Amino acid sequence: MSDIGSDGVLAGVKELSPIQKLAMHGLVFLIIFGGWEVGARLGYVNELILPAPTSIAYRLYEMFFVTGSIYWHYIITMYEATMGFIIGVSIGMGLAITAAISPVFRRYWAPYAVVFNVTPGIAVTPFIIAWFGFGWSSKIALAALVCFFPPFINTLTGLLHIDKDATELFRSLGSTKKQFFWKCQIPSALPIIIAGLKLAMTGALIGTIVAQFFSASEGVGILMQRFAFRLNMDGSFAALIVMSLMGLSLFTLMEYMDYKVLYWRRHSRMEEVGSKRKRKWFAENGDFSA
Amino acid sequence: MAEELVIQGSALGKQFGENVIAVEDANFTIPRGSFISLVGPSGCGKSTLLRLISGLIEKSGGDLLVRNAEVVGPRSDIGMMFQKAVLLDWRTSIENVLLPDEIRGTIDTDAKKRAWDHLQLVGLKDFEFSFPRQLSGGMQQRVALARLLQTGADIMLLDEPFGALDEFTRERLNDELLRIVEGPDITTIFVTHNIQEAIYLADQVFVMTPRPGRIAAQIEIDLPTPRNIDMTTTPEFNNYVQQVRDVLAGHLDGQPL
Ligand SMILES: Nc1ncnc2c1ncn2[C@@H]1O[C@H](COP(=O)(O)OP(=O)(O)OP(=O)(O)O)[C@@H](O)[C@H]1O
Ligand SMILES: [Mg+2]
Repeated sequence: MSDIGSDGVLAGVKELSPIQKLAMHGLVFLIIFGGWEVGARLGYVNELILPAPTSIAYRLYEMFFVTGSIYWHYIITMYEATMGFIIGVSIGMGLAITAAISPVFRRYWAPYAVVFNVTPGIAVTPFIIAWFGFGWSSKIALAALVCFFPPFINTLTGLLHIDKDATELFRSLGSTKKQFFWKCQIPSALPIIIAGLKLAMTGALIGTIVAQFFSASEGVGILMQRFAFRLNMDGSFAALIVMSLMGLSLFTLMEYMDYKVLYWRRHSRMEEVGSKRKRKWFAENGDFSA
Repeated sequence: MAEELVIQGSALGKQFGENVIAVEDANFTIPRGSFISLVGPSGCGKSTLLRLISGLIEKSGGDLLVRNAEVVGPRSDIGMMFQKAVLLDWRTSIENVLLPDEIRGTIDTDAKKRAWDHLQLVGLKDFEFSFPRQLSGGMQQRVALARLLQTGADIMLLDEPFGALDEFTRERLNDELLRIVEGPDITTIFVTHNIQEAIYLADQVFVMTPRPGRIAAQIEIDLPTPRNIDMTTTPEFNNYVQQVRDVLAGHLDGQPL
């Protein structure tokens, strides 16, 4: 995330040394959370509305290290979101590939996917619960439903928007459709497909938690709701932070995949991969110039 | 002698839709080993003519023979190069050059050796494992040229291959291209907007004029080979430039541009 700073949004901010930067971050952190803490302690902020950061931190500490009650909820929620993600992405990409290959499918069937998308997925939660019950499957189903569209539309867009010259190059080389698909269409589409997966990941987590709000016996969503019903605001906020942690870990995972897979979009990675391939080539073929 | 004619068009035509006549009544014979420049203003049908010959699009009328056979689709003895390098960004130079072999399923040590040699030939020693985004525009076109050589095609169709490059790079690459395709084997058709460049490179210049796209003149260039840049200032050279200009002007007079 730090590379946003160098030439993007934060252009114009004076470059500081790493230590100065760290100090700056620490200062901002202190102002926000120190102010909040003091406000809460002095009674300017009602603890029932916004508990003090230290109370929330203590709750988190308790959940993770004293009772350990959070782990099961954490694992269940991650499991449901991940399964929903995998199913939603498989359906979305599967449909997109079919639509990219078959113009008939694209014209007569794909529009339903669009209608489906403009219908707010969250609104069908009651139906999903009715169909899939109160257990894991309804959470997974809602997660899949909420996250299928970005991979669908991005994959379709990526596969269809291929450079015209590249198409002609492959045709002039006598390429089959299958070769063109694997050697040109898929790799060209990968950046936008991965962007779709990132959106889907967030969607899957939202779907899971909303379904848990509705009805569940386990999961971070229901945990949060139980705290809230008991007006236990420290607990609710702690659960919220756990959700952020989940989002962050899934996001980091996707960023890592982006970094690994899309090596040709980063200069440092191109150098790395280039020299790896060079070593492999020389190991396999020797030096033809010699 | 008939064997020496690689490409023959007679009354060749291509129409897009109802109104656009991109190529009309094109008659030409291209001898084996020759270098043809195709020059003309934008939209006069140069790319269309090239794509007809390559088999990428179908003619709407007339005859088009390559090696005495009607053109029905892309063929392995014809290779193309475009204004853009059209490299696959996720492949290194050598992997891009090997694409034709991969598609034909002919990848082996011999193919790899040839790919390596082609990269050396186009001056990309030490850039074999660079990715396209690590290369300048000129170097990317060199990779594209190496890939074209790798196809083993002896008919090369080049559509403004260096048109997007600066003048210095373009002149250098033109000279290197001439060196590579000279000799009796490789037949080249080179599309350009630039009259001087067309004459400098070619044995014969086809001048095309628009609406409808026609080959208005075929001018033999009788300059000594190998060409060198000093020739471009000689009276003979300027004579040819004037001839091409006259053809274009004669046609364009009174025409809305
Ligand atoms: N696929 C197509 N469908 C419809 N019209 C086309 C198509 N391809 C080319 N044309 C039209 O045919 C005419 C000739 O186009 P072409 O691309 O061959 O010109 P060109 O001489 O290569 O031009 P430029 O120098 O700008 O590349 C133009 O009027 C163009 O709009
Ligand atoms: Mg053109």
